[in-house]
Amino acid sequence: MNRSHRRNCNTVNAASLARWIVVTAFLALAGLSYVYLTLQLYHLGERRKAVENELAGLRTQNDIASAQITALTSRSALQRRLKEGYLKMVPISEANIVRLTMPARSAEDNAIQPVANPSGTK
Amino acid sequence: MKVNSRTRCVLVCAAFIGLFSIFSFRLIYLQAIKHDEYAGLAAEKHIHKQIIHAERGTILDANNEVLANNIPVHTVVADATHLNNRPAIIDLVSKELGLPPAQVAEKLSSERRYIIIKREVSEAQTGALREKLRAANLRGIYFEHDATRVYPNGSMLCHVIGFTDFDHRGIQGVEASMEEYLHGQDGFRFIEHNRAGQEIVPYRGQERPSRDGYRVHLTVDLSLQNIVENEIDAAMEEYSPQKATIILMRPQTGEILAMANRPDFDLNLRAEAKPEEMKNRAIIDMMEPGSTFKIVAAAAALNERKLRSDSTIFCENGLWNFGGAALHDHRSFSYLSVRDVLVKSSNIGAAKLALSVGDQRFYEYIRRFGFGERTGIELPGEIGGVIRPPKAWSKISITRIPMGHEVGVTPLQMTVAMAVIANGGKLVTPRIIKSITTPEGKTVSSLSPVVLRQVISPETAREIGDALRGVVSDRGTAAAAAVPGFTIAGKTGTAQKVDPRGGYEHGKYVVSFAGYLPAEHPEFVGLVVLDDAHTSKPELNYGGLIAGPIFSRVAEKAARYLDLEPHEEIRKAIPVERVEKTTPAERIRKARPAERIALTNASRH
Repeated sequence: MNRSHRRNCNTVNAASLARWIVVTAFLALAGLSYVYLTLQLYHLGERRKAVENELAGLRTQNDIASAQITALTSRSALQRRLKEGYLKMVPISEANIVRLTMPARSAEDNAIQPVANPSGTK
Repeated sequence: MKVNSRTRCVLVCAAFIGLFSIFSFRLIYLQAIKHDEYAGLAAEKHIHKQIIHAERGTILDANNEVLANNIPVHTVVADATHLNNRPAIIDLVSKELGLPPAQVAEKLSSERRYIIIKREVSEAQTGALREKLRAANLRGIYFEHDATRVYPNGSMLCHVIGFTDFDHRGIQGVEASMEEYLHGQDGFRFIEHNRAGQEIVPYRGQERPSRDGYRVHLTVDLSLQNIVENEIDAAMEEYSPQKATIILMRPQTGEILAMANRPDFDLNLRAEAKPEEMKNRAIIDMMEPGSTFKIVAAAAALNERKLRSDSTIFCENGLWNFGGAALHDHRSFSYLSVRDVLVKSSNIGAAKLALSVGDQRFYEYIRRFGFGERTGIELPGEIGGVIRPPKAWSKISITRIPMGHEVGVTPLQMTVAMAVIANGGKLVTPRIIKSITTPEGKTVSSLSPVVLRQVISPETAREIGDALRGVVSDRGTAAAAAVPGFTIAGKTGTAQKVDPRGGYEHGKYVVSFAGYLPAEHPEFVGLVVLDDAHTSKPELNYGGLIAGPIFSRVAEKAARYLDLEPHEEIRKAIPVERVEKTTPAERIRKARPAERIALTNASRH
């Protein structure tokens, strides 16, 4: 009776314990994963922001550079440089111009292409 | 005892039930009924709507040369409640931004949370200031992203391009008329900040990206514009006129190839420009056109078949009394053909042409040529001019209007009217916008030519064109407008300036020349107008002597640029010296005897 009672008292329900351990471990893992992923989310968010800022900076620099290129290569700027003597242009004499073909007509502007004067009219 | 115990239990339970019921009701009230209100309040506190600014579209010429674009800048602002060391901040900011310290101190003296210190600060300046503020641990100064409009070509094409105000809204020229397309659409993003004011990226809410403004491509060719600008500058230097306008237009499509006005202004220094310099005189200035208007009377008479081009008209030997007033010709003409009325620019002949048509029909033809109404070009502020109806005419109006008096027209209207002759009688709407594309190059809108009406028959247009070719000959009034190698058709105009107080200003003229080239197959129509040109002698102040040579120089260079093949026979026939840039007096001295007669006889018409 006593032995039987001791046997009964010391009985550990292994299956139940295992189930609880698994559940607890799962919950712990889930919790840790949640924390880890949340931190990753914040971290990636910060990186995203940094990349966005970097991209915006590069875009700004690009805009500034293209505006400067446009200003330096504009017709007015080139003419000013031509006048100042930085650039030199030699006009092509009429004798050196060889017309191989007439400019091709496109469907869009067939009425506005330059044409040659028909000879013999005045 | 048992009863008491039970009663106490029941009472405690009831108290708990009551308490939790109150909590539950309160919870439901807050979470369900007041949800929107409190959610809004919470959002106001934490969530901010961040605006993503759209970039204004660029303006380009017909060959994609940039006429207007943007450069990133910053607006330096301060939050007075965040300033931690005012004297040091004032000292640093004033030094870095080049502002007087007193001015910065005055701005920062208030406790406002948003103070604009300086606009349009360059990226380099803001970068340096930001670093120095950080190094000195100074707080309260912020930098807002902005962009400023820049015009790489300065004053070139300034009246057409226009400009924007501080809010980047177009207020003149294409900047204003194409505002809808250039402006773009700002985007937004809902963001949350942490206590340090930094964005919590995972909590980003709804987001809509910005749409940058479209690119507007003009019909203007900057190479042709450059030719026109150089020639108008040369004309300003040579003749010092009060105002000047040159327009080049393609007659078949109505495309404006070049448009220049003087006085002008630098688009990048627009704050310094005077109102008079900002006017696009090609579309908002009225003038009495003078004899260029005779093409309308001749076209009306020929189109109505009242006369043929070789029909003769008695020109009263230079003086005709009509309606109690004398009408003069610059020379005595007896009989002139209709063609020669234009070639010799006879006022009496033109008056008789209009009389043959009659008041009402002549008025209808004026309107059919597009006078008295806006041309419809995509530029703001265009005026329609003044054409009075026949019931408002005096007895002599029918004799004065054909010679370009008693009417007010814009230079663009006059160009369009000449284009009618060049274009076989068709009136085409002038256009300055070629196409609208996205920044990636996809076409949003491409405008095609609009033929408004057939004003005169192609046959009449050809007859008038033949007569106008005679104008630019040794027999005509504009021999100096000739271009070696090309046949030109055109008409001169010299009108006495209208005095705003009434009558005409003595000794002041508006001289003009409208023509096209090549006469057989016109590639462009051009108009040159100089208001109150100053010449060494008054007798040199004529359209044929001033505007004609300018047109010749513009047309010659434009023909070269457009690769129009010169006509060898004409090249040989016309001496090259004719188009050299000389003063009118020198030109007359240099001219051969036959030409000299033609030049000195060139009339005020």
